[in-house]
Amino acid sequence: MHIVDGALSNPVVIAGAALCVGGLAQGLRSLPIDKIPAAGVLSATFFVASLVHVPIGPSSVHLVMNGLAGLVLGWAAFPALFVGLVLQAVFFGFGGLTVLGVNTVVIAGPAVIMGIALAGPVRRAGPQTAALLGALCGGGAIALTAGFVAAALALTGDAFLPAAKLVFFAHVPVMVIEALLTGAAVFLAKQVKPDLFDDLQGVTP
Amino acid sequence: MLLTLALALAPLPAVAHKVIMGVFPSGDRIEGEVGFTGGKAPVGLTIEVFDPAGTKLGETETDAEGFFVFTPTQPVEHLFRTDLGAGHVAETTMSAADVSTIIARSGADAAAATPGAEATIAWTESAQAASAAPETAPPASSASGIACSPPQVTVAAVTPGEIDAIAKAVRDEMRPLRREISAYKEKNDLQTILGGIGYIVGLFGLGFYLAARRKLKATG
Repeated sequence: MHIVDGALSNPVVIAGAALCVGGLAQGLRSLPIDKIPAAGVLSATFFVASLVHVPIGPSSVHLVMNGLAGLVLGWAAFPALFVGLVLQAVFFGFGGLTVLGVNTVVIAGPAVIMGIALAGPVRRAGPQTAALLGALCGGGAIALTAGFVAAALALTGDAFLPAAKLVFFAHVPVMVIEALLTGAAVFLAKQVKPDLFDDLQGVTP
Repeated sequence: MLLTLALALAPLPAVAHKVIMGVFPSGDRIEGEVGFTGGKAPVGLTIEVFDPAGTKLGETETDAEGFFVFTPTQPVEHLFRTDLGAGHVAETTMSAADVSTIIARSGADAAAATPGAEATIAWTESAQAASAAPETAPPASSASGIACSPPQVTVAAVTPGEIDAIAKAVRDEMRPLRREISAYKEKNDLQTILGGIGYIVGLFGLGFYLAARRKLKATG
């Protein structure tokens, strides 16, 4: 899921960095003060989830948990996932510092898209429906991320379809696991702390 | 809850799907290894070799265990590059000094191939003959790190063939060790994970503090 240093051409890296800065600015602006602890916890979840591996062929894929972050945080998922990615690059050597921008867009972008699309319905739904929507969000975020990775590789020169197929099918198990995990997390949160999804627009700081 | 779950699961498969690649001198060739940490070795993967200017020097393929072998011909820095697909690219270099040592060794081996046998006989006969013998044999043996017995001793010196056999045996013995060390380097232990979480807590705490201060200022 992490694109490594040297895999992408310079224009793609620069465009990714620019998009990432824009996303970060928008994210920080829409991070209300009472969502900061939630952002921290989701950032830590993302950081640790990448260590849970599912072996696939010669490679292995790991959990991402960006869907849940997007669902709870909306735009604020950008800074939360960015922090996780920086630390993964520094501590584990996942990805790299030059491709940080691209990786942030590739992982936080789908989170924001799925989160904004589904946060409203999840807020209004009962626990069961919300769990289903959460599963859709978790799985959909991974599918979109796979598409974004393939697009970044395609812009560098790989043919889009084979690359997209490869990345997508490698991540099918992750999609299933994340859909289940996100669904379960949303179901639990809906029952014990339903206001987690409430103040998405939040109190303005 | 999710965090604790992830934490509980993490130490078991705490391996990264990072691509690792390493090269090391192996006699007159460069031997290398490529693979995913924690994953299987890619078989039949093409490794391309470039010089510092970006000119392609050649290419090679991995065997069933992810090892590859390349025989250098030019004493320049060698850049090994491979693409494992889906954004996994690995690169590693071997310095010009290392490469020229390898080339020098293969040159010495070729030169020593014929006079080597004579030199061995000469040592068993007399010390004088040995010093007069072609100089190519001693450098070849000392380069392999094996101390040659003084010419006075009547025991036959190690022949280049034996040296090669010993060097090969040592390399074969070292290979699993080398692999284990590179796997160990990629290990993420609990300290690293907790350290990262500590950073996250600290960063978001700082953010919280700044946001709270701004809010207090605005109200006060």
